[in-house]
Amino acid sequence: MSEPRLLQNFSGARAIVVTDRAGSVDVLTTALGRLNVTTDPADIVESVAAIDAATLRHERDIIFIDGDISDGAALPLSTIGGLPPAPVIGLLGVSAPSRLKALMRAGASAFLRKPIHGTAVYPALFVGVNEYRRQQYLEALLLDQDRRRRGRRDVVKAIIRTMSEYNIDDDEAYDLLRRRCMKTRQTMEDFCKDLVRSTDGQGHGEFAPRRRIAD
Amino acid sequence: MSRLNLQVGYLFSTTGSYELVARSMLNGALLAAEEINTSDLGVSLVPTILNPGGDLGQYSVHAGTLLARGIRHVVGCYTSSSRKEVIPLFEKHDALLWYPSHYEGFESSDNVVYTGAAPNQHVLPLVDYLLAHHGHRAFCVGSNYIWAWENNRILRESVLARGGSVLAERYFAVGDTEFGRVIDAIIEARPAFVFLTLIGTSAYQFLRDFRKACKARNIDQAREIPVASCTLSEPELEAIGCDAVEGHISSSVYFCSIESPENRRFLEAYGALFPDGPPASADAEASYNAVWLLARGAAAAQTDDPIAVKRAITGQQLDAPQGKVWIDPQTFHAYLTPRIGRSNCDARFDLISAARAPVQPDPYLVRTSSRFEAGTFPSLRLVS
Repeated sequence: MSEPRLLQNFSGARAIVVTDRAGSVDVLTTALGRLNVTTDPADIVESVAAIDAATLRHERDIIFIDGDISDGAALPLSTIGGLPPAPVIGLLGVSAPSRLKALMRAGASAFLRKPIHGTAVYPALFVGVNEYRRQQYLEALLLDQDRRRRGRRDVVKAIIRTMSEYNIDDDEAYDLLRRRCMKTRQTMEDFCKDLVRSTDGQGHGEFAPRRRIAD
Repeated sequence: MSRLNLQVGYLFSTTGSYELVARSMLNGALLAAEEINTSDLGVSLVPTILNPGGDLGQYSVHAGTLLARGIRHVVGCYTSSSRKEVIPLFEKHDALLWYPSHYEGFESSDNVVYTGAAPNQHVLPLVDYLLAHHGHRAFCVGSNYIWAWENNRILRESVLARGGSVLAERYFAVGDTEFGRVIDAIIEARPAFVFLTLIGTSAYQFLRDFRKACKARNIDQAREIPVASCTLSEPELEAIGCDAVEGHISSSVYFCSIESPENRRFLEAYGALFPDGPPASADAEASYNAVWLLARGAAAAQTDDPIAVKRAITGQQLDAPQGKVWIDPQTFHAYLTPRIGRSNCDARFDLISAARAPVQPDPYLVRTSSRFEAGTFPSLRLVS
């Protein structure tokens, strides 16, 4: 899993703006237009509830949420990182803690101060989208680490079984298993899981010649 | 019908490390005012000229002075750092800065009209030319500010995407003239080309010293390690001196050597008004175009109100010395014609290539650059 490259060109993206003052976002939509980010009138909505989260695509959509609206609705967030389905940029009017907290809870990864200044839009997009992508990467990394942590039990079992079957020490057993999982292009955890769940653990080609060597 | 009197500020550093270019810019702006005032356009320009002397801190002082006098249109600034210094003042006073110089892009202020080249009109054409004709190993030398940083980023991304390499990026303070060590490093590294983003006196000294060092080692610098730049213009070629003037590659939307009736007329008028020079340059032409666009906009709007003038200029098309020039209503940058030139012994540029038509400005490179920054990881190849 490699770290995401920084996104610097937002051409082709779609902006969805959540605000109850559609007339006040002209500067934002003009600045987005210069970056070739489209904002259809239908994408300027008064409530988060008006957004169909199922159709959102994180690589295309960017959501701007006006922090001054009192909106009980919320976007679904991922369980581990609390990430929204697409990057969220908060539009800040009142900077009171309650409003900041609401935008943080909505998953905002960058902010634009109101009244919006056209030249601030590109930096907000750059930070907001790339921070979202970084958090997505960290979330995926965390999920993977968690899955592998749970698989450690099978790794321990597989090492013990291999030590016993081939009369080798734990380092040799680990090395044997590691080489085998690399050859089959599996993670150590997945390979060991398959191994301990097989009836005799002998169905993996390389073990037979290795046993002869051990003998 | 009475003529509209239009107060305009000219803010050019006619002294300091980049005075040569700035003096030619002022000349271009003065020539336009002279022509407008004797034309039947119905506008009389009244310029107030201030000189920040190349001192960054003086730009906001002088811009503030002009705006405090009620002047709502200022033509000026050369470096990006000076432009960024004064923009907040123009926003505060709802005034317009007419910025007549090529720059690195990634800006689109509502209070600025940009008549110089955007990066897709001079930086990218140069990168394409260098990679196609000179190779993929670059050595970057620049003045330590945003112009050089951003140009080098654009070059680096293009070079890496095509499997090439940037051997080094070296930066010097504006006005620095000590280049012995970096020249040794370049000769040692033997790049396919040097990408030069030094400005003013630094650039002239570098080119002189580099040519001399190569000559001492029997290296034909212009052919073997050419220097390419997006800034080098005719007044600067004269300043470099005849020993080192020939063979440098420059990317620009204007060269004095463009063959057209409009350019001949421009050069004749420029030469007659300023016989002592410095000669015209791309930035002089951009200044000339800026003043003409301002006057045309004010004439069409019948007011000097910046919003009305801005609205009115989007309908204007100039028969400029470089060819047709008009303003993109979305970004308020200009449609311009990219060209590549190579300097000759007469301190002019021979045209190598030119776009067929004016190119739409793309200040954020949304149509012309990769979605992602260049990867810093090495390209892998299959070894077995």
